[in-house]
Parts: sequence; C-alpha cells; structure tokens
Amino acid sequence: MADVVIQTTNLSKELTSSLLRRKVRILSGLNLTVVKGETFGLIGPNGAGKTTSIKLMLGLMRATEGNAEILGMPAGDKRALAQLGYLPENPYFYSHLTGREFLDFVGQLFGIERQDRKERARELLETVRLTEAADMQMRKYSKGMLQRLGIAQSLINRPEVVFWDEPMSGLDPIGRRDVRQILSHLKEKGTTIFFNSHLLPDVNEVCDRVGVMNRGRLVVDEQVKNISAGGNYKDLEDFFLEFVSKDDANIKASSNASNSTNSNCDTSSEEARS
Amino acid sequence: MTVTGSGKAAKPVNVIEPVVAIAINTFRETVRDRILYALILFAAIVTVLGIVLGSLSVGQDIRILKDIGLAAISFIGGIIAVFAGTNLVYKELERRTIYIIFTKPVSGWQFILGKYIGLCLCVAVMVMAMGAFLAMIVIALGGNVAGASFIEQIKEITQELSLIYLELLFVTALATFFSTFSTPVLSVLFTLAIWLAGHLGESLLELGKLTQNPLIAQILGIIFYCLPDFAGLTRIRGHLLYGTAPGTEVLTYLVTYVFAYVLMLLVLAAIVTERKEFS
Repeated sequence: MADVVIQTTNLSKELTSSLLRRKVRILSGLNLTVVKGETFGLIGPNGAGKTTSIKLMLGLMRATEGNAEILGMPAGDKRALAQLGYLPENPYFYSHLTGREFLDFVGQLFGIERQDRKERARELLETVRLTEAADMQMRKYSKGMLQRLGIAQSLINRPEVVFWDEPMSGLDPIGRRDVRQILSHLKEKGTTIFFNSHLLPDVNEVCDRVGVMNRGRLVVDEQVKNISAGGNYKDLEDFFLEFVSKDDANIKASSNASNSTNSNCDTSSEEARS
Repeated sequence: MTVTGSGKAAKPVNVIEPVVAIAINTFRETVRDRILYALILFAAIVTVLGIVLGSLSVGQDIRILKDIGLAAISFIGGIIAVFAGTNLVYKELERRTIYIIFTKPVSGWQFILGKYIGLCLCVAVMVMAMGAFLAMIVIALGGNVAGASFIEQIKEITQELSLIYLELLFVTALATFFSTFSTPVLSVLFTLAIWLAGHLGESLLELGKLTQNPLIAQILGIIFYCLPDFAGLTRIRGHLLYGTAPGTEVLTYLVTYVFAYVLMLLVLAAIVTERKEFS
C-alpha cells in the first residue's frame, strides 16, 4: 500500500458569527486520503470550503470535529510543517522586501543554511522568471509576479508535499504554462501535490485525482483518467457541473422536504389545539 | 528549469534562526516605513531650539537644551514604540503575511520574540541617532554647565538615554501585547492609558491612604502593584538630572523589574498568538 501523506477524518469546521453568535458550518465531514507522489486537485464553486480545508490541514485553523494528518503527524505539527510548502490564495508579502530578500527570509524560517539559501533563491527566481526583478521591492510587483514569487517561496525547502491555493490565479498564459511545468517537475521528483483551482483545464492536465466540493462537503473524488474514459462525461467541466448541480438539487429538495414537514407539523399542532 | 522537490528536506530547525529572521525583517520593515522622518523632525526642532536658546539664555542654555532634547527623545521614541508596536501583529494579520510565517516551523513565542526584538532594535537605533545629534549640538554650543566638563555632559546624556530606552522597552512590550488581540486604535489607547497610569501609580497609593474605605484602599493597592512602575524610572532620571546618581542596587532592581515585566508581557502575547486561528 502506498504511503499516506495527507489524511483527513471527518474534518469539520464551524464558525460563530460575532454579532448574533450564530454557528455556521463551513466544512462538514471531510474524509480524504492523498498518497505519496499523487497530485490531487480540489475543485468547487466559491465558498465551497476549499481554502478552509487547506487551512485546517496546515493548522492555521482548528477543526471543530475530526482531524487532519500530514506525513503521519497532526495538522500544524512543526516537524510536518518543516517538510511542506504552502502558497496562499492571492498572496501578499512584505512589500518593503525585495524578491530575493523575501526568499532568503523564508529560507531562514526553515533553518536553511546561508549559502544554500542564496543558491536556492537564485535557482527559484530563475525558475519562476523573476531574476530581473529579484532586487526590486515587492511593492512594485504585479499580481502575477507576486504569484510567481509565492510559488518560489513554497519550494525553498525542497518540500515533500506542497499545498497550493489557486496557483494559477493572476497568471497570464505563459505564467500558467510555467506553473504546469513546475508541477510536472515536482511530480517527477515524487512530491505530493495538493491544490485548489477554478481552472479546470489546468486541473485536468496536471492532476491524478480530483475532488469536487460543494457547500462545505466533498461530493465526489475520482481519478482524472476515469472521468472521460467511462463515456459518461465529456470532460472535467462536465463532470464538475453535473455533480455540483446534482448536489444543489439534492440540498434544495431536502430543504423543501424539511420545510413541508415543519409546516405539516405546524398545521397538525394547530388542528390539535383547535 | 531547476525544481527540486522531495528527497532533500531541510535540517531540523534551529530555534533561534526564525527569531533572528523575524527580528531582522521587522527592523527592516520599520526602518523602511518612513519612520526616519520622525528623526528628521526631531533634529529640526532641537536645532531651532538650540539656536534660539543659545541667543536668549545666559549660562543655562545648554542645561535647557539638554532637558528639552532628552524629553523630545523620550516622547518621539515613545511615539515610535507605541505606533509601530501596536501595528506589529495586526499588520501581519491584515495583510495575511502571517500565513507565510505560521505555515513554517515557527512557534508563537518565536514570532512574538522576533517582532519585539526587531522593533526594540529599531527604537535603539532611533534613540542613539537622536542622542548623538543632541550631543553634537551640546558640543557645538560649548557644553559647559555649572562647571561640568564635556565628558561629564556626554556621560550624563548616555545615562539618561539608557533610562529612556529602558522605559521604551517596557512601552514596546505593552504595545506588542495589545497588538495580539486588538485593533491598532484600541491598542494605542490601551498602551497610552497604561503608560500614563504607570507614571501616576504612586498617586493611587496616596488616594488609598486618603480614602476611609479599606476595601477601596486595598483595590487601589493591587492596581498599583499590577501597573508598570514608570514613575520609578522617572524618579531615577530626576536624580541623574541633579547629579545624584542612583546606587548599583537600585539600578539592578530596576533593570530586573523591567525585564521581568517585559518577559511576562511577551509570554502572555505568545500564548494569545499560539491560540489564534487564522481564518
């Protein structure tokens, strides 16, 4: 059996709205296993719970129920964090630093030695095509440049597993192609990749397996090669739309059913009172 | 393309390295954040005062210039400590740069200690630069007060600056602590309120003595002992001003007191940060 790198068991998160103290469930019972060397793509509409899932796996948020394990260690464990790379959604870094200084800073947080840090920063800046802007302050970077620098910082420690939240966001077609190439290289090296994206063609091209999330739940997960091979779905987009609309319809139907049960109960109790 | 992934993981992280990285980053951020303008403003005020007072006073011009200069250093240093300190953690949260820190093998205490040290370094540089500027003006204007030699003048300024810096370490720790759980505006208000209350602490004891109610006196006493004793620092600066340097015992007690209080505030700030969720 392949090594399990990411495992979540009934992972759930509730937030309490500050004004009315009302609890809102933003993630419900996520059960997921990603094995070593696998590229897993999490797709879903806005607000489906993709970013929350990643934050729970990394220990940025604490689960209300269930748990997440990375490399056999609990979410947020420092030993696991030392072996992973993370790219946040719409990254914003320290605008007063230059790209090179920022990579050096991140390398230092990992405890990488000075010479190695410098060499690694140079390599990665070249990989993400930022060599010319390396000594420019980040306040002058475009969104795409920040995204590319974000990708570079997530690889500074030569991670075993990477979590990328919307890695293609803000990138032009050349940037997207570069990211796909980086992903391919990481796959060749056996890195486990977990990423969220809205860009289904990219997901289709690089992922081994995809999971579809909707309204805080994982609706389905499937090997990418099986999606169009079965003949039921034209492509990943067709698969995604089918499952999301089915799930929405199910939720609507069960909500209607519960409303009608409630109204029936109200009618019965009124009849009983009269 | 050079993308190395698995197979060569980083060595186990040295606990001090992230603290140093965060401290240097905070120092750079604060210094590059146009805070140096405060220094330029101070330099301009003191220069003008130096010229004006030099022409108006007879004999006491250096003494007045030094008193005003040191008060200005204390005030401007305090402003830097309060405003930069209260933004320390909030800015990281608001800009979401905190995601970068806490997805690395970095603990809450390392983050807080690094931020604090970085800001204290910045305040130290500012205080030293302003102090050097003041000393230069004192030298330029002659530097002889009531028979005190030039060397004695510089020594006195250095001692005063050390006490000012000790107080600013305190204020920075307060601001850092409040920044972990409240907005910058509230943190500024809380820090300034405690800073002021710390200077007026002994009045609480006096008030307790005046009141007829023992319960109120007891409560005021507890508040007095909880508040940082900024008045103690000011008292010693007063002694220095009149040439009566405090004994080593008093200074040792004071330094120990400040560092113990700062440590307590930083531990509390680290606990709050460690319990935080970043949604």
